[in-house]
This record gives sequence, C-alpha cells and structure tokens, in this order.
Amino acid sequence: MQKIIIGLSIVSTILLQADNNSSLEKRVESLEKALKANREKILEDKMKKAMSSSDSFNQKSFNPDISLILDGSAVSRDISNDDYEGYSIDGFSEEADEIPFHKNRGFNFNYAELGMHSDVGPYFTSDAIFHLHPDEFEIEEAYLTTKKLPANLDMKMGKFRSGFGRINAIHQHAQHFSSQPLVYEAMLGVEGLNDAGVALHWVAPTDNYLMVGAEAMQGTNELSFGKSSENNLYIGYIKSGFDLGDKTSILTGASVASGKTEDNQDSKLYNGELTVKYTLDSYSNLNWQSEYLYRDRDDVKQGGYYTQLLYKKDSNWEFGARYGALNKNAKNQPDDLKKYSAIISYSPFEFSKIRLQATQDKSKSFGGKRKTENEVLLEFLVETGSHGAHAF
Amino acid sequence: MRKIIIITMLFTTAIFAKLNIAVTYNYLGEVTKAIGGDLVDVTVLSSPKLDPHFITPKPSLIAKLRRADLLIINGGQLEIGWLPPLLRRANNSKINVGNSGFLDVSGAVELIDKPKSVSRAYGDIHPDGNPHFALDINNIIPIAKLISMKLSQLEPKNSSIYNSNYNSFSSKMERLANSLKEQYKSCQGKKVIQYHELFNYALKAYGVESLATIEPLPGITPSSKHTLKVINLIKENNIETILQDVYHEKKTAKFISNKTGAKVNIVPHDVGAINEANSLEDFYKIVANRICQ
Repeated sequence: MQKIIIGLSIVSTILLQADNNSSLEKRVESLEKALKANREKILEDKMKKAMSSSDSFNQKSFNPDISLILDGSAVSRDISNDDYEGYSIDGFSEEADEIPFHKNRGFNFNYAELGMHSDVGPYFTSDAIFHLHPDEFEIEEAYLTTKKLPANLDMKMGKFRSGFGRINAIHQHAQHFSSQPLVYEAMLGVEGLNDAGVALHWVAPTDNYLMVGAEAMQGTNELSFGKSSENNLYIGYIKSGFDLGDKTSILTGASVASGKTEDNQDSKLYNGELTVKYTLDSYSNLNWQSEYLYRDRDDVKQGGYYTQLLYKKDSNWEFGARYGALNKNAKNQPDDLKKYSAIISYSPFEFSKIRLQATQDKSKSFGGKRKTENEVLLEFLVETGSHGAHAF
Repeated sequence: MRKIIIITMLFTTAIFAKLNIAVTYNYLGEVTKAIGGDLVDVTVLSSPKLDPHFITPKPSLIAKLRRADLLIINGGQLEIGWLPPLLRRANNSKINVGNSGFLDVSGAVELIDKPKSVSRAYGDIHPDGNPHFALDINNIIPIAKLISMKLSQLEPKNSSIYNSNYNSFSSKMERLANSLKEQYKSCQGKKVIQYHELFNYALKAYGVESLATIEPLPGITPSSKHTLKVINLIKENNIETILQDVYHEKKTAKFISNKTGAKVNIVPHDVGAINEANSLEDFYKIVANRICQ
C-alpha cells in the first residue's frame, strides 16, 4: 500500500513538473515574441523618422547663452538739458564727455544690453556685450578668454573693460548706484577704461586670494590718455582678499595705468581700493567700499576719492549713501569739488530692480559757471535670459 | 648632499601629498571625508547656516578653488548663482567643468519635480528638477559611490581603500535608512506645508504630502494674499505641521502658526544647519524626526 502511494506521488510530481515546464516554456516563448515585436516596433518608428529626417544640420544646442538687459529712467533735475550736456569740471574736463545714461529731464530709455557667452572650443570662451541706445549701436565688450593656459594663467583678448580699480570692470546695471562716483566721472568718464587690448591674469597658490594682472591697451580714453595713433596704455594691478572670521570679507587692491595723452604727455593714474563686506544673513549684508584715484600728468597732479556704504536689508531692499570729492587739483583750480548721493533699491525678484537715487553735485560748471546740481532719478532694470551670476 | 635632501623631500611630499578637495556644501564634505579618510583634505566652500542658492562669492573662495585638485558640486543648478564667476577667476583648469577634477553628484540620483515648462514667470525654478536631493538618506549612498569612483579614478593606487571605505559607509547608511523607515512608518499620509520646496525628497521617502509653500513662487517673498490662502488651506486640511528652514525669515511661519495652531518645525537642510545635526547620521535622524513629529 505504502509503496503504491509513494509510486503514485512520484508519478504525479513528475507529471506536474512536466506540466510546469511546458507552461514555463510557453511563457518564455510569448515573452520572447513580445520582446521581438517591441524591438520591431521601435525599429519601425525609427525608420519612419529617418525617412523624413530634419535634424541633420541642427545646431541649436550650440547656440550661445543669450541675455538681454533693459534700462530706463525718469529724471528730475534743476539744470536744463542744454546746460547739462555741456557741463565741465574745473581743472579736469573742459567739455562734457558723452552722456549715455539719464541724459534728459523726464523719461530716458538708456540702453538695451545684449550679451552672448559661448565656449569656442576646448581652449577659448567668447563673450560679446552690445549696448543698443535709441540711436546708436555700440560694442561694449567683445573678447576671447583662454581656458587651458598652464600655471593658473588666463589671457583675455579683444575689446573689454580693464580690471583697473574696483568698479571699472563692472557694468552699469551691476553697480549699486545709478550714476558714477565723481572721481571716475572726472578722470575716466562714463565709458571708463574700455579698449581693445590684451590682459594676462595670474592667481597665486596662497591661502589668501592674491591675483596679479597686466594689460596692454590702445588707450583711447580721452580724459586721462588718448594718444590712439598707437597703443599707449599699460596697466598693472594686484588684488588681494581674505576673511576676518565667518562674517567679514575684505578685498583690497592697487592699480597703475601708464599712458600718453593726445598731445603726447606722459600720464599716470594710480588707484587704491578697499571693500569690506559684513554678512548679516543669506540675504542681508553691510558693504563699505572706497577708492582713491591719483593722476600725475607731467606737472599736473590731481586726486579724488569716493566712499560708499550700502545696507542690504533683505532680498528686496537695499539702502545706500555715497560721498565723493576731488581733493587735489591743478594750480589755481578749486579743490573743494564734492558730490553726495543716496539710493534706495527695490528688487521684487532677483532679476528686476527699481532704484530711486538722489544726488547733490557741487563739482560741475554749467555754461562756465559753477552751480549746485540737484537730481532725483528713478531707474528700472530687468535682466532676462541666461545672464551669468555676478562676482563679489 | 643638499640636492639629495631636496630631491628626497620633494619625493616624500609627492608621496604623502593629500588630494586637495573643495566641495560646495557640508554634506558633500562629510561623505568625501568618509570615503577619502586620511588620504584627502576637504574644504567646504559654504556655510550650512546660509541659503545654498545664495552664497556670498567671497574672494577667499577663489583662493580655495585655486588650490583644489578636485571640485565636487551638488549640481542641478543649485550653485549657478554663485559658483561660476569664482571658478572662472580661480584660473584652475584642472577643476573646470568637463575636466577630470570636476564632479557633479546630481548625475548619481533621480531628480524629481522637473518642471513641465520652464519660464521665470514661475519664479526662480530649477529647470533640471529639484536639486535638494541630499535630504533623502537613500540618495546619499549612490552619491558616496560616485565620489569613491572619482577618487579611485584620480588615485588608482588607493582605490581599494576608497572601495572598502565606501562599503562600510554604505552599509552603515543602509542600516540607518531601514531603521528610520521602520520607525516612522506611521508618518505615511501626513500632510505638511513648507517654506520652499526644500524637503520634497525627505517627504517622498516617508510618504508625507506637502500641500503648499509659504513663498508664493520659488524665490519670491511671501505676500499677504498668498499667506491667507495658506492659512485657509491649513484649516481645511487640518494640517498640523509647518516645515521651516533655518535661513528664510520665520515671521510668516509664526504668523500662520498663530492663526491656525499648526506647529512650526525647524528642519535642517544640510549637515550643520542646526547645531544638533553635526554628522550625517544625526542630520538624517533629525530630518525624519522633525518632519514626522
């Protein structure tokens, strides 16, 4: 009896197994079939697409990063437009430089800034920044930067804003105030040192930040240089930065620019800068920034400075005040030329800003007579597209 | 004789020179130290108490990047607002994007919340998806794996050490992940609101649902209209918990809490964001605890 039962159970398990095996085989077979059908379907879709291929020469993914910045302002000023356009600063400029921003009383559209940034290949990146004014197209900057120079060097070639001083290289929209400090206005003008040339930078392998830069430029800036029949301007600077504790960062620098004026005089410009930033939290900080400029032209020695304090309250509001003066002037020229500015900026979102700036300027002469200028302006600024982050 | 001394000195420093690694956030520093051990020197570029999107681009950070052999970043565009100009100024081609000394760990994890359409009209969105993936303990293991692979690639002779460090790190983290999952099972289905979509990965891991953010859109400060909407939503859904990070203003959360009775929980977003969360283990324990309680 027992034997029969064992025998039966063995037979049944074998039978069951056989049944199992055959169902397994069937499942594998149907899966293989499905897989094959799927593969064929994919291939077929691919073929259909290939029949009407349209992407063969598509280069969209190589397009540069493009950004557009718009800037306009409403201005109230107690000097008429005609007088303002012909202003002069005693001892510094006989005739006003061109005024690209906030020129007219009433409404101004200052510029649309079109920026493009792209990798050229493994060795270079290219940047171009165009300024479109209502009746002018201007190449603000256009340059190549090397990516793979050895020994932590980089080189810049083309037309660009010099790294001289603290704010010369910073575009108008990225500065904290709507208009320039007096000493820059008097010695370099609104365009600053912005020329065709080459620059070489080296960062030292030190614990603290130490950067040395050298530039050779055409020297077209007419306020301090201007002999552009040949390249006449050589610039050198050294910048250093370090932290004091977790919250305080300091950036200092010294710059020299040496060139020739239109009438072939030697002209040298010296700059010392200091920025102290105290972080309160992620969105709030105190920022104190000062610069001194000194110009030595054959026998005329002139100097001036500005100092500014900014309080960024949160991600929306910033408040600031600036004092600037020209404290050393040519013989028989006034050396009590001063300018006061205050600013309130409101930024509803990271990429837009409205700033209200009040200025009292005691440095300028209009129609040959020195006169205090009072100005209030409201400026709007928006950044769109892929605009890169700003530096310190 | 002097020459020989100098040569041996150079040689020994070359042998014992540690790999100099800069990382953008604290959690990356902790993982890198766990994998690299004594063979690496790790510098963290930002403070975990501050908003990871807006780190002050201090000049001292340029000096740190200048000396790095390897840069490890979170990626997913979390660093886009502060790192690129520093990297450009550091002139260190070794650690530039695309070179062997650069590592973006976002490639090791699956990003969630990828926006269907990308426009700044929706605020400061991240086009590649939510970059705050470090909040989920399950993501830290593939990140550690990627870092160990990178270290082995740069220093093949030490790869067995990096490998065994990774093995012990990953089994430790797996154990913790399992025990946290077990401990907070009851948390599933809980509803919360948060300030920014900062905790989504942790919420997903524990099955918690986030119904709203205090900020109306990413990067936009709270408005009274939106705050009222959030208050009503809390009342309608009986939400008991508001998740607040350490770096945004806390006034709005407190106001909402007063109006609704929902509790404000401060949740760390990184190791060291709050003092109790000083190691990876404590960080993940506190995140789970404060979300689920």
